[in-house]
Amino acid sequence: MSDDLLTETANRLFAATCTTEVVEAAERDGWCATVWDAVAEAGFPWVGVPEDSGGSGGSFEDAAALLRAAGRAAAPIPLAETGVLGGWLLASAGLELPDGPVAVVPGPVQLGQAATVAWGRAAERIVGLVDDGGTTLVVAARADQVEVDPGRNLAGEPRDDVRITARLGELDAAPAPDGVDAAALWRRGALTRVVMAAGALEAMTDLTVEYTHQRRQFGKPVATFQAVQQHLVTVAQATARLAMAADVACRAVARGDGEVQVAAAKILLDDAVEQATRSAHQAHGAMGVTREYPLHHVSRRLWAWRHEYGGARSWRAALGTTLVDRGADELFLAVTG
Amino acid sequence: MIRFEMTELTAAERALRDDVVAFLAEELPRGSFTPGLGMNGAKDPSFSKQLAARGWLGMALPKRYGGHDRSAVERFVVAEQLLRWGAPVGHHWVADRQSGPVIARFGTEEQKQRFLPGIAAGELSFCIGMSEPDSGSDLASISTRAVRDGDGWLVTGRKIWTTMAHLHDWIIVLCRTSPVEDTGDKHAGLTQLIVDLRSPGITTYPIPFIDGTADFAEVVFDGVFVPDELVLGEPGAGWAQNTSELAFERGGPDRWLSTYLVVEELVRLYEGGDPPAEVADLAGWAAANYWVFHQLSLAIARMVDDGRSPSTEAALVKEMATRFEQDVLNAVLRCVEDPPMAPGRTPFERLLVTATLTAPSFTLRGGTNEILRSVAAKGLRPGGRV
Repeated sequence: MSDDLLTETANRLFAATCTTEVVEAAERDGWCATVWDAVAEAGFPWVGVPEDSGGSGGSFEDAAALLRAAGRAAAPIPLAETGVLGGWLLASAGLELPDGPVAVVPGPVQLGQAATVAWGRAAERIVGLVDDGGTTLVVAARADQVEVDPGRNLAGEPRDDVRITARLGELDAAPAPDGVDAAALWRRGALTRVVMAAGALEAMTDLTVEYTHQRRQFGKPVATFQAVQQHLVTVAQATARLAMAADVACRAVARGDGEVQVAAAKILLDDAVEQATRSAHQAHGAMGVTREYPLHHVSRRLWAWRHEYGGARSWRAALGTTLVDRGADELFLAVTG
Repeated sequence: MIRFEMTELTAAERALRDDVVAFLAEELPRGSFTPGLGMNGAKDPSFSKQLAARGWLGMALPKRYGGHDRSAVERFVVAEQLLRWGAPVGHHWVADRQSGPVIARFGTEEQKQRFLPGIAAGELSFCIGMSEPDSGSDLASISTRAVRDGDGWLVTGRKIWTTMAHLHDWIIVLCRTSPVEDTGDKHAGLTQLIVDLRSPGITTYPIPFIDGTADFAEVVFDGVFVPDELVLGEPGAGWAQNTSELAFERGGPDRWLSTYLVVEELVRLYEGGDPPAEVADLAGWAAANYWVFHQLSLAIARMVDDGRSPSTEAALVKEMATRFEQDVLNAVLRCVEDPPMAPGRTPFERLLVTATLTAPSFTLRGGTNEILRSVAAKGLRPGGRV
């Protein structure tokens, strides 16, 4: 399937299932089986995971196209966690993929200690990386091997404190291959947030453009006022930057690279969120801060994803330190090469 | 509809880039010249001719007029490296970026033969005759007039903010050839003329620039005769042609590289060591932005090669990229504790001083950011998508 066709199919499916009411209900209940079932039926959660590992096949870019569509629709499911993150970890170590949702411990797993895990409560497996005396293992815990203390991020998405109560020997575990380690997982996690945010920003642009062309004040659509147009442009610019960043970073990661690109994209996410949410809300007036109008579903997610898998401060410091170390003469090629 | 599609350099385009990098290291090594800030690089006709000898000027112009039939992306590749090096591009910059392309598009056969080979050879230089003392953003309100006189036109009026007009050869002048009252449309009745800056009746006055240089000028036309064969395109169609010329001007690497060297020199001060936290933070943030603006500009060049006219996209990028040029400079200034001294005691300080003094022009030249936002907003209508 071409990327455009895949995106179209995904947008249709998400639009049909993730209505404003459904997303609201999922936030209240912490889970929405109908959305998950529809998306699982289509095989979406396992796109990008090889078929011989139990996935749906398809490229990393295909998986990213689905994530972007999910971000656009504020889909209340662990799509990134089940495939691009958890599925990738499990498949890389030759471990079995479960039929249901997967959650991922973002940093190195400390058995017996709680970590914040997205969608932990809903997962059939909690997957993570354990340092076993110098060897990195991919481990998978069943729901009965963990304790979950529910929590929520700014968007009301489940971000639960999860403690693996089983001992290492009781878990599904296998050595992680080269290139699968905590840093790579962190980078992939950051990229999923960039891609989802790119989709959310597209939705934010559409909402803002439509609202300002409908809403009339002083006898004409507010979009005809230059001051309001400036907000539209700001939202569109942030969206264009982050969409491009997401595409290029995904291409790099798909090729087994992406250290500079993912860092750059996550850094850009921070500015994009700040600028786009401010302008989109300003352009919407008071309507945008009500629960009945859907802008908050994207703006609250953007505010939440901004900090997941590292905030701007740590990513800037890491990329900046690397580039300064490489030196002034290398700088330009490092960022444009 | 606004949409940027990711692209990347082909192997051949990367090879071209590497050639330009090697050429600059060899012919214009660091320390052998005073680097300029992006398109404000010095005017050096001999350097322009060196580039021309390599086939790096007039790249996208047709071969039969001395050009090289190369793509907008290839031109982008060369321009990006020249700008990031601070190379002396002042002699050919306007001719290569916009005068050549606009003559190739709208000019007569005779005009193409007359001007394009000289532009591609780095011999003929051009400047822009758009703004006037009373007409800036409201460009259609210009009052420079051309009236019929035998086989040509007599031009009277004033053009302003023309960079290095006293040093260039030609100027493309936007002027009114029929009064607004004739048509009731201020965008009608405008015509572009190609004018020899050494014509009788032209006087140029330098306008001292904020940083103390004298690169700015006002050009006064007092009954300057311009023969019919130097009318560019259709008389009366100047507005549409001018708009398309502005699209050539926007969205390129010159819109985000103006302060790049300031960042590079800051990095040089700390390279190989452990930078202070604020320097690492700045380097990371700046790099992320250079990376994405490179990708966006490249996407625009690729769209041009695909036969599209990404004027909305170019306006969107120019508006944010020029603000970034200023923002990154301010971020550098926040890393500096001691007051910079003019004109600068080190390469870093010299660039910092010049950048600080000239930065306000980045968001003005080539269309103010306020105008650009209006242009971009026209592409943001319900039903479209980014």
